Amino acid sequence: MDIKTLERLQKLNQLKLTEEETEKLMAFFETAGKDAEILDTVNTENVERMVYVMPMTNIIREDIAKKLFTRDQLQEQAPEAMDGYWQVPRLVD
Amino acid sequence: MYIAETEKSVKNIVVDDMILTTDMATSAGSRMLDGYISLFEAEAVTKLTEAGYKVYAKANTGEFNLDLMGETSFYGPVEADGVLTTAAAQAVKSGDAMAAVTLEVNGSSARGAALAGLTFVKPTYGTVSRFGTIPAVCSGETVCVTAADAATAKEVLWTIKGHSDKDGTSLPQEKCVFDEVKEIKKVAVAKSLMVGEGAAKVEEMKAKLSAQGIEVVEIDGEELLLAKSAWNILMSAELCNNVSKYDGVKYGYRTPNYETIDQLYTNSRTEAFGYLTKSVVLFGSETLSEDNYFKVYDKAQRIRRVICEALAKVFGEFDAILAPVSSKLSYTAEEAIANPYIAYEESLYIAPAMISGVPAVVTDGVQLVGPAFSESSLLALAEKL
Amino acid sequence: MKYETVIGLEVHVELATKSKIFCSCSAEFGGEQNDHVCPACAGMPGMLPIVNKKVVDLGMTAGMMLNCDINRVTTFDKKSYYYPDLPNAYQTTQWFAPICVNGRVDIETSNGPKSIRIKQIHMEEDAGKLVHDDWTDTTLVDFNRTSVPLIEIVSQPDISSAEEAIAYLERLRDLLRFAKVSDCRWEQGSMRCDVNLSVRPVGSDKLGVRSEMKNMNSLSAISRAIKYEIARHTKAVENGETLIQDTRRWDDNEGKSYAMRSKETAGDYRYFPDPNIMPVVIDDEWFDGIKATLPELPEVKRAKYIDELGLSEYDADQLVSSRALCDVFEDAVAVCGSAKEAANWIITDCMQVLNKKKMTADMLDINGTSLGQLIKLVSEDKVSRGNAKRILAAMFENHIADVEAYAKEFGFIVSNDTSAIEAIVKEAIASDPKSVADFKAGKEKALMALFGKCMKQLKGNANPQVLREILIAEINKA
Repeated sequence: MDIKTLERLQKLNQLKLTEEETEKLMAFFETAGKDAEILDTVNTENVERMVYVMPMTNIIREDIAKKLFTRDQLQEQAPEAMDGYWQVPRLVD
Repeated sequence: MYIAETEKSVKNIVVDDMILTTDMATSAGSRMLDGYISLFEAEAVTKLTEAGYKVYAKANTGEFNLDLMGETSFYGPVEADGVLTTAAAQAVKSGDAMAAVTLEVNGSSARGAALAGLTFVKPTYGTVSRFGTIPAVCSGETVCVTAADAATAKEVLWTIKGHSDKDGTSLPQEKCVFDEVKEIKKVAVAKSLMVGEGAAKVEEMKAKLSAQGIEVVEIDGEELLLAKSAWNILMSAELCNNVSKYDGVKYGYRTPNYETIDQLYTNSRTEAFGYLTKSVVLFGSETLSEDNYFKVYDKAQRIRRVICEALAKVFGEFDAILAPVSSKLSYTAEEAIANPYIAYEESLYIAPAMISGVPAVVTDGVQLVGPAFSESSLLALAEKL
Repeated sequence: MKYETVIGLEVHVELATKSKIFCSCSAEFGGEQNDHVCPACAGMPGMLPIVNKKVVDLGMTAGMMLNCDINRVTTFDKKSYYYPDLPNAYQTTQWFAPICVNGRVDIETSNGPKSIRIKQIHMEEDAGKLVHDDWTDTTLVDFNRTSVPLIEIVSQPDISSAEEAIAYLERLRDLLRFAKVSDCRWEQGSMRCDVNLSVRPVGSDKLGVRSEMKNMNSLSAISRAIKYEIARHTKAVENGETLIQDTRRWDDNEGKSYAMRSKETAGDYRYFPDPNIMPVVIDDEWFDGIKATLPELPEVKRAKYIDELGLSEYDADQLVSSRALCDVFEDAVAVCGSAKEAANWIITDCMQVLNKKKMTADMLDINGTSLGQLIKLVSEDKVSRGNAKRILAAMFENHIADVEAYAKEFGFIVSNDTSAIEAIVKEAIASDPKSVADFKAGKEKALMALFGKCMKQLKGNANPQVLREILIAEINKA
């Protein structure tokens, strides 16, 4: 784990750590990285990945439209809203 | 955010800060969701209310319930008699609540109950709907019950169990609610998990079980050690994804310091999330990166199957596994805060049940882990003890 | 040196469903901003995704229309990135097991026939819409389109010119509209296209540096943009310049493409399987059920209409331009037996009503069987053509199951009672001696005036031939 990777990760996840936090995190990545090393020792070539612990199939619904809440209800806690829109700083591109 | 002061009632239920209610804020212990009021409530809350229980208060949690026992909460940790506890356990222990219904994400509910001497049950994954809970680690997190005794825990758990068509992981009704109790005759103790002070509690329990005529056998359980490593990876990756929606745009905390959209995102998240959440997000993100996906994340998913198969083998021979819940029998808030990654270490004990979705019951400071759908059997044993 | 162009297209098509892909909000186009939104598609915590079955139906239908293999076990994955039109900061899509793979679309250009291979089709959710507000200098976010179901059709890089790209897109649009997968309206964004393009020396097996133009929304813009990019790439390669792989925006007004601000983080989408959505398993019953709903291809219908039903090429082309017209036509012919009449009623009369309502042919929503009954009543002289048009207009408002009963109820049945006609004719002659005199003096037009008066009195419910005969007979008697 190097500083560059940590910087890229912060950008990717919209977070910014202080220098002190970054150093602490480097140490953590070393420790947590050991988890990956431990798993690496197990041969899983013929093991299928397990996404669902209680697998089922075809949990689907019919195509019926329903309205649950009004726009005003949904925007009641919006940090900023205007004319029924959520509002953010102007985007470039 | 602490437990509201109301009249004591036998029907009072406290739910934790990961379970959505419409009349009280749900904040996931995070500044990000400070004061957030949901437009809808959790299926568990609806079921409790319909059955005549009163969901009277919210119990504080650590941020997204990832930590040891609430020490990372935006609202501060809860201590009782100088030691760290969870607000949910404290509400039950004090007698204010007959039971606590919590979203177990990374073991804090089990630890809170074990260290307070309460009974806790984590049912089989998919038997209680997660509709209306704050998503953190969707493939493992489970709505759980803490109570003073096994009978009460069962009563409340059976109230909230059941199929929900609003949850795509909810099992069919006949699998959710069942009364079959199988007598527990043979229990395994995994040597791999017998580390730390919690092992002493297991020794006490061994004596009690033997007195009941239950055979206790030691096994190696080497594969169970893998659970911690695999769980830490899966937990981090899913958490990273699930908290990405908190960005200061739609609701919740928005930084006052921004001009551009990236500043809005970055500063809101940086100012509102605590250090543990940030660490988990960054680590989780890395496990999913193009370079690491197959090496780390996908590998952990395969190990998950290895663990489930190892558990199935144990349960072919034994009715339950007896194990400690934590490495120490008490923690101060100070020491938990001083080691931000303490939950990554303590997951050793809770990971086997969390990663595989099997039920676990905490009683007398230890846990009994059983095969899928064995919660009624585990609770029956706990009641007898 | 000679150069060749390598183009791959990624086409996004919004599916014709009533509700969104993972929540029950309306998927209808339009509506007030943020009116088709719920906590799930506004990125609020606590709701869980449940897959809309119709999305899988339509995904499968699209795959079958495009000669794809259908993955019988198909799963959903999460793709993470930050953008204000993506409320969860992840898009649920299909990365590991898309619903369709290995398809083919046959096209026809000035160079003859060609097959364009389809790499895959996957199901996913759409993003919201951003509106830039100049007054406040902010961006406004509308989540109405968020989570509207999409399929993305990814072609292999088999396309080598703007002409081929257009032929491919037109064919795709025809097939998907015909199978009712989507209305494929470029102007409403229900069909959009990303163009991946590179240029290399002829004979080279190495691909050139690629540029991607995102979110193209009209055929003319796509054609112009491809021509522009081919010129730009070729010039750069000829001059030995190093192109950079980039994402570009096409400005159709200026006729130029611009590199978009490159995101350093782009590309690392951290895909992983969504543990909240169980695999969708398509068994034979489901598969065969969808297969049975597939329409004949438009060219097959066209040939049938001409060869078997005797329609003109013009009429057949008009009808096969829209699946809705074909459906109404075929149902009507089954009842009335006259293909020519049914085609006329649809191409002329129905289209007239649609135009007046500012609706397109695809929106024709009348019952073909009822139209057939109506045509039959006209051919049997039971309802006049004028009144039949009134009944047709009523069919656009309400379903009329028994057209004859309806005609009777509203007095639209042609009267065969000659004594009633005679009485009205006598009255008309008596009240207008001038027209009678003019007709007798050889002015044919005068007869039309009297005829019109009588028909009006009879509310159109007279056989014109019978009325005319009685009128002449009575004038001669007078």
